[in-house]
Amino acid sequence: MSSPRATESPTSDRKVVVHLRATGDAPILKQSKFKIAGSDKFLKVIEFLRRQLHRDTLFVYVNSAFSPNPDELVIDLYNNFGFDGKLVVNYASSMAWG
Amino acid sequence: MRGVCTRSGSLSAADFYASAIYFSQRWNETNSDFPNWVWIPCSRLGAISEDEGYLVLEKVKLQTERNDSNLEELNNCDSSANDELTDEATLVDVHSHYAHLYDLHIAYSFTYKVPVLYFRGYKSDGCHLSLDEIKEELPSHSVEILQKSKWTFMTQEEHPYLNTPWYTLHPCGTGDWMKLLLSSTSYGENISLIQYLPAWLSVIGQTVGLRVPLELYSRS
Repeated sequence: MSSPRATESPTSDRKVVVHLRATGDAPILKQSKFKIAGSDKFLKVIEFLRRQLHRDTLFVYVNSAFSPNPDELVIDLYNNFGFDGKLVVNYASSMAWG
Repeated sequence: MRGVCTRSGSLSAADFYASAIYFSQRWNETNSDFPNWVWIPCSRLGAISEDEGYLVLEKVKLQTERNDSNLEELNNCDSSANDELTDEATLVDVHSHYAHLYDLHIAYSFTYKVPVLYFRGYKSDGCHLSLDEIKEELPSHSVEILQKSKWTFMTQEEHPYLNTPWYTLHPCGTGDWMKLLLSSTSYGENISLIQYLPAWLSVIGQTVGLRVPLELYSRS
């Protein structure tokens, strides 16, 4: 079991592997693993999911029982909550009223 | 009812108390930039109670669109009165004029068996902010969640202990998304209990612009 730490390369160059997992009745993506720059904000992952699924309202959370603030840096999330070389991001539908 | 129920996403009043104490201690240890959360012992019947009460975080500045926007934008807004764009004193005055403060309370809902946020905002002169004024300065991400998600919406309710009207995020959807958060881990019952409030606040905090430090989620 590895605990990833960004010690060897500068934060701005580091790419993080994100694994997007559908939960509940949310649609499953054809491709669910992506690389994203560690210096990007989590907002980028949220917006990517919205575009791929054509949904504005998604509930996005990680495997440590919390929903990250969109301002968090992907590298910080990966360093603290990544596992096996990737950050698992779960998503569920949070349907609008109507 | 005892324990955190991961099937329903709810928890007992006793476990709310335990989670609240643990959460506030961790927050106060790790978050030196922010005021402390304080537990106020109180029972609905008016008597002091050992394990009933609510958490308060008072006079805090939250993430807002105005706080995050660059000063140049603010200056352009007000330049109708003043063509000079480099008056340092004016910039400082304008910025402090917009510093609104908030009181956040976390209480237990005996009806829904989940925590509930009660909050109020104040202008620099102490006047209460209306709901429209609060919504105006929420970060855009918060506004989106409030407008589009069926799980989080704001209403005005009577504070369960202070009997005054406060704004609140209605708890009816809380169980649904707490279920998802709790089931994302392999936490046993004890850890689910301890992590319940941080998990809950990670979502509720986003709706009002309160950032939760990542340390609260790290299992150390």
